[in-house]
Amino acid sequence: MKFLCVPCDTPMKLQTVAPPDRGSLSVVYSCPACGYEMAMLTNAYETQVVQSLGVRIGPDASATTGAGKCPFPGMMPAAEKAVEGGIRWTSAAEARLTNIPEFVRPMAKTGIEKFAQERGAVEVDEKILDEAKEFFGM
Amino acid sequence: MKADCREWGTVGYSLTVKGYHDIVGDGGSRILEQVTEQRARITDGLAGVRHLVAVGSGKGGVGKSTLTLHLAGALRARGLRIAILDADFNGPSQARMAGVQQALFIPGSEKVSLPRTKDGIGVFSVGSMIPESAALEFESAANGDSHTWRATKEFAFLGEILRSFEWGELDLLMFDLPPGAERTVQYADYLGPRTSFVLVTIPSEVSRGVVARSVAALSKGPNRVLGYVENMSGYYCRECNGIKPLFDAPDDSRLEIPCLGTVPFDPELARHCDQGIPFSELADTPVRRALDRVAQQLLDTLS
Repeated sequence: MKFLCVPCDTPMKLQTVAPPDRGSLSVVYSCPACGYEMAMLTNAYETQVVQSLGVRIGPDASATTGAGKCPFPGMMPAAEKAVEGGIRWTSAAEARLTNIPEFVRPMAKTGIEKFAQERGAVEVDEKILDEAKEFFGM
Repeated sequence: MKADCREWGTVGYSLTVKGYHDIVGDGGSRILEQVTEQRARITDGLAGVRHLVAVGSGKGGVGKSTLTLHLAGALRARGLRIAILDADFNGPSQARMAGVQQALFIPGSEKVSLPRTKDGIGVFSVGSMIPESAALEFESAANGDSHTWRATKEFAFLGEILRSFEWGELDLLMFDLPPGAERTVQYADYLGPRTSFVLVTIPSEVSRGVVARSVAALSKGPNRVLGYVENMSGYYCRECNGIKPLFDAPDDSRLEIPCLGTVPFDPELARHCDQGIPFSELADTPVRRALDRVAQQLLDTLS
């Protein structure tokens, strides 16, 4: 979708995006020639269609419509439970965890912590991650 | 652009302004570019995969998942590097059948390591992520009304899986497709012309009719249809070690694509699927030999 300032015949630029509020996104465009501003207010269906594409909305793609978020959080209660005893993660291991998409992150975190605890480890580091890979033949 | 008010009726006056295609970019979010980048990352992620094969049918309940897993097993036994993507997100069965229901997802340097079966087949299945007691649901801003967006969301999810997992160097990546002739074509569109199709039917006129629709639909696109497998082609009786008829249907496929082979129904194979027992532990029966022959035929056809 593109917006055109008709009096100026100039393509409008996206300025700001407000996160979804009750299913509606507020996206402000302005005309670089005359400064005229307009807001596109989506209904929930329109928001959801964009969200379903897995893309981000915003001038720097920083405002998200939900892209990359866990799509089915309510179905993984067990995976979201923290392992008792609060195992630590080294920054390098945590960086690897952060790199993977959110839809597998809770399961990955819980599973690795369990694997580490079963081996008497008190923290998850890259060595534990690599050990787990080897243990499971990956 | 010049809009003709007579044609559209609602414009009220003629506009002489830029049209959509006169404007570069969308002014901010780069939606089309983001989608293109997503597709490029999928292509990069699958660069090490020699063959992409989707196992579909159109018809449900014909044994697509069973055949996918056991053909993968037979090919793995030949030393090939194989992975399965269970694309049936709403009825995932590969996790149980492949024995990866409790799979651990391990973060690699950038992507997620692919869970593997005892035989070393990589498997992604939503069944490894959500229990069988739960149905797959996606968060929605639209308060339900999933008929308006669900298919788009599922394909975006498929794309995220393809981008997020370490597929690595593979001889074959097999897609276990959901039922529905229209879905089969949607997967062909999404996965692109690199993906070949194997269709599964059973010896019934109803099944052949549905599969014929899938053949007709696929024939309009660029994807290669390698052939079909007739599953449940008789019943394997362990007592007499023979194959007995299961369906009373005329022996006429009416499918104008090559037949890659026939596989009899075997309750023991169903038990293996329920318990996640790998192909390597399947006894040397006419059913295993039939699966082996189909796997070889598939390989020959791909070569």
